[in-house]
Amino acid sequence: MLETRDLHAAYGQTRVLEGIDLTVGDGEVVIVIGPNGHGKTTLLRTISGLMAPTSGEVWFAGARVDGRSPDLIATDGLVHIPQGDLPFGDMTVEENLVLGAFPASDWRGRGQRLEHVYGIFPVLGERRGQRARTLSGGERRMLALGRGLMREARMLMIDEPSLGLAPVIVNEVYRHIGTIMRSGVTMLLVEENFSHVHDLDARILLLESGRIVREGTVAELEADEAVMATYLGT
Amino acid sequence: MRSFFQAVVSGLVTGSLYALMTVGMTLIYGTLRTLNMALGAMVLVGGYVSWMLFSGLGWGPLAGLAGAAAVTFAFGVVIQQVAVRPLIGKTGVDFEMTAFISTFAVAIVFANVALEIYGARNKAVPPVVEGRLHLIEGVSVSWHQVVMAGVAIVMLVALGIFLSKTRYGLGISAVAQQLDAARLMGIPVQRVYNLTMGVSSALAGIAGVLLASVFFVSPNAGDLPLLKALIVAIFGGLGSVRGTIVAAYIIGLLEAMISLYFGVKWSLPVLFVVIMIVLLIRPTGLFGKPEEARL
Repeated sequence: MLETRDLHAAYGQTRVLEGIDLTVGDGEVVIVIGPNGHGKTTLLRTISGLMAPTSGEVWFAGARVDGRSPDLIATDGLVHIPQGDLPFGDMTVEENLVLGAFPASDWRGRGQRLEHVYGIFPVLGERRGQRARTLSGGERRMLALGRGLMREARMLMIDEPSLGLAPVIVNEVYRHIGTIMRSGVTMLLVEENFSHVHDLDARILLLESGRIVREGTVAELEADEAVMATYLGT
Repeated sequence: MRSFFQAVVSGLVTGSLYALMTVGMTLIYGTLRTLNMALGAMVLVGGYVSWMLFSGLGWGPLAGLAGAAAVTFAFGVVIQQVAVRPLIGKTGVDFEMTAFISTFAVAIVFANVALEIYGARNKAVPPVVEGRLHLIEGVSVSWHQVVMAGVAIVMLVALGIFLSKTRYGLGISAVAQQLDAARLMGIPVQRVYNLTMGVSSALAGIAGVLLASVFFVSPNAGDLPLLKALIVAIFGGLGSVRGTIVAAYIIGLLEAMISLYFGVKWSLPVLFVVIMIVLLIRPTGLFGKPEEARL
């Protein structure tokens, strides 16, 4: 579904990604773990087209997409739930969600999708007429996830769903992500903290200084004490 | 007391027209984060289209409204493509400033082309309807002014529905509030920019038709409307649609009151003083929020 080949990206002179090769197969869940400031968000932004790579290739659903504008990649079925949620603050919860179904093929079915999302996140239904900027951090995260589910996704990318949330809320968010995973969707998720994802059935990549330094299942990595100590701070 | 009511009525009419012109300025600032100095030129184009339809074909100003809206919409898209789009995303270029200058250049081109084609002489366009409406004893308003206010209000309501209910209307608000998120939703940003420029220009063009029957059409017919639109936009707090509309009516009423109590020649100077005071107290304008998405 997704493949990056020797992907490099930089902010001005600062190199952030230094040759990322990763693949996410159909229906597979891949989780990228790494410390803050090592390129996780940049990786997702480069894949979805918000940032142009300095070199390398991105292939999505059989087509080369690097250099394409993000709205075209999104319309091809890549849903990127960005860091910081980026809600449309002055719009209502419902308007935010409806915009998630912007591509013409999704727009027609937006009513059904909306009910589907309200079914998963009842709190969004209760707050449907409320402005997005008045939501709590947890509700905003649910809104970002819900907005992502408004579209027929070939692949879902989620940027650090635990960021800035209280532990109880993080558990709730991950409960929802587990549900979304079990629906069989292809997923690429990045996270700083290993502890949030060790219940998920996924392939893990460790990202450090813009490179993938290790790969394995949750069990394999947990068995490796050096990895646990060095990269995961446990 | 009668003259007070008369001033209120004419202030409301002027305010409606200011709102119609300025709301486009606001939409463009909201999405593109620059001022479109070519909006006055669209008032000019609207006036000439209306005059051509009248003098050439004998069609009245209502045909002018539709014709001018179509022509100025097209011009808006062309201006976006030619004068604004090439400046977007250029590293080392201050987009807000360069787009401001390039749209100002467009305005100068339009005024001079108009001068070349139509000459400097004023063209007269008849009002949409003749006659006056008597409200109460001693307070009346021309039917044309009623039509002006009516058209302006209908357009503003239609714009509000468009922005909050339709797919592309919501898309405009989305681009204005959170550009990255809008792109990730699959909203085609360049098309949204074209649409915003087209709609804003069409609103200015419609204002141009309405104004053509009050003043005359001439190559500098767009200058004063542009100045007024800038005053209203800055006074209201750049980028807030609701703020713009409220500010337009405040300025319209203020102008009418100043003309009534101090004489017409004081209307601009006093207006500037009031606005300076407002901006000293609230540098972001009446309804502006500092560094926030605003539509």
